[in-house]
Amino acid sequence: MDIKLRIKTVLNEAEIYRNQGLIAEAYDRYQNAVNLINSIEKLKNKDSLLKAIHEKILALNYTKEKVDKGPKTPELSKKAQDLIKNLFTFSENKDEDAAALEGAVTLAKFGQFDRALSDLNALLEKDSMRVDAAKNILRCYMASASVEDAVAQYKKWYTGDLFQPQQLETVRHYLEEILQKRGIEADLPSAITVEDTLDETLAVEDTVAEESEEEFLDITSIGITFERGARKGKMVELDVNFQSGNMLSLIIAKKDQDLLEGLDEGVKLKNVQFFSPIAIFNGVGTVVSKTQIKTGPKQGDYCLDIRISST
Amino acid sequence: MAIFNLKKREIECKVVYYGPGRCGKTTNLEYIFSSYKKQVKGEMVSINTEGDRTLFFDFLPMGLGQIRGCDVRVQLYTVPGQVKYSSTRKLVLRGVDGIVFVADSLEVRREKNMLSLKDLQANLKDYGKSIFKVPLVMQYNKRDLAEQGIPLMPIEQMERDLNRQLKVPAFEASAVVGTGVGNTLKECLKLTLQALQREFKWAK
Repeated sequence: MDIKLRIKTVLNEAEIYRNQGLIAEAYDRYQNAVNLINSIEKLKNKDSLLKAIHEKILALNYTKEKVDKGPKTPELSKKAQDLIKNLFTFSENKDEDAAALEGAVTLAKFGQFDRALSDLNALLEKDSMRVDAAKNILRCYMASASVEDAVAQYKKWYTGDLFQPQQLETVRHYLEEILQKRGIEADLPSAITVEDTLDETLAVEDTVAEESEEEFLDITSIGITFERGARKGKMVELDVNFQSGNMLSLIIAKKDQDLLEGLDEGVKLKNVQFFSPIAIFNGVGTVVSKTQIKTGPKQGDYCLDIRISST
Repeated sequence: MAIFNLKKREIECKVVYYGPGRCGKTTNLEYIFSSYKKQVKGEMVSINTEGDRTLFFDFLPMGLGQIRGCDVRVQLYTVPGQVKYSSTRKLVLRGVDGIVFVADSLEVRREKNMLSLKDLQANLKDYGKSIFKVPLVMQYNKRDLAEQGIPLMPIEQMERDLNRQLKVPAFEASAVVGTGVGNTLKECLKLTLQALQREFKWAK
């Protein structure tokens, strides 16, 4: 083929590829044309032809840059976002909140993070949706912004009072796993640590209670004045079979049904006399449990646990 | 996945136009939108483009009327063809009932065609579907460019490259002028509805 005709053919191809939006292919053809032109020493209008091609190449480079650097997922109009939610939320969930969550997740999948975050944040107010909404908020931050933003959001929740400790702990585990998978170390304070502190406080209180247990006098028997039942108004003295701090255990024979009638679980005994080897004092107690003994010599009798509330 | 409402005797299915970037998927839908007014049931929506590149998808709802007592509605979609939009492509493909694979006849796009078909196979597999079982039609687009002296692949070569194992119906087309667009869609709808009929034991 005549070289001039070849140049013409190559330039024609380049032009059509450019019109088709095939940037790389057009670029390749223009370069091919430049090489062909340069191979001819005495070509008429050589410089102007090369200049024209150079301008075409520059324009292609500009288009390529625009395409390459353009946002992968630009924020769409609300109408378009609603259409995406409508077309790509597949579950036919009747629950309004669950459907809203699915819609927000769909938007996030299509890169519509601003709207997704807005919808998910609204769902944080719903207790049943809170954890799932939080997880997806973190995913949005990691996809659209940065890991640091996700961690900062978690810490914000941690210092706030929206989440219950267990909810926050679930969210923390979720974030921690993702970060671990990405090989990122981050200090994520645990909500459970607060509970642990509470547990420690309780443990201290238990110790105090144990110490105070030792301060309780040994009670040998108690006198209960009944406020109801067959023995209403009468005081009955009962032996204490076992004592652990302020908890007293008594055995009441099954034949004493009239006694048992007034001593159901939870009954508060407002007028109790506590007898110890060194003193007698009045106080208040509560029936904590009433259990029938199933085996042994006392089978059929009742074991009564009474906690001394105040003396 | 097609939505089949037994009570209302309605069926709605999803057909996706798949293929490499710039192969003419959107042009197919544009031609359908302008030429099948009676069947088109709403606007064609092109969700954002960069220049004329599809970034998200195109959507065109159609109604095929009653087929054996059932109202048949079809949603046509295109996927973004550029490689970097793989996640969106996969999302759009979800729940697909029938596929038109639009291949670019330009010689320079041979490899892109094959990569796109491979991408389709992988995405279908992720959804638990086999490219050998899904209703699929091949379209060899841009045949008109031969007249402008642009090197195109012979149909035999495209068949060898893309359809040697699949052996699905294939159509030559020029979406920009409409040649082959209707035939491609009709064949795809036929295969899709036949598959749904088998699946749902519908229309018996």
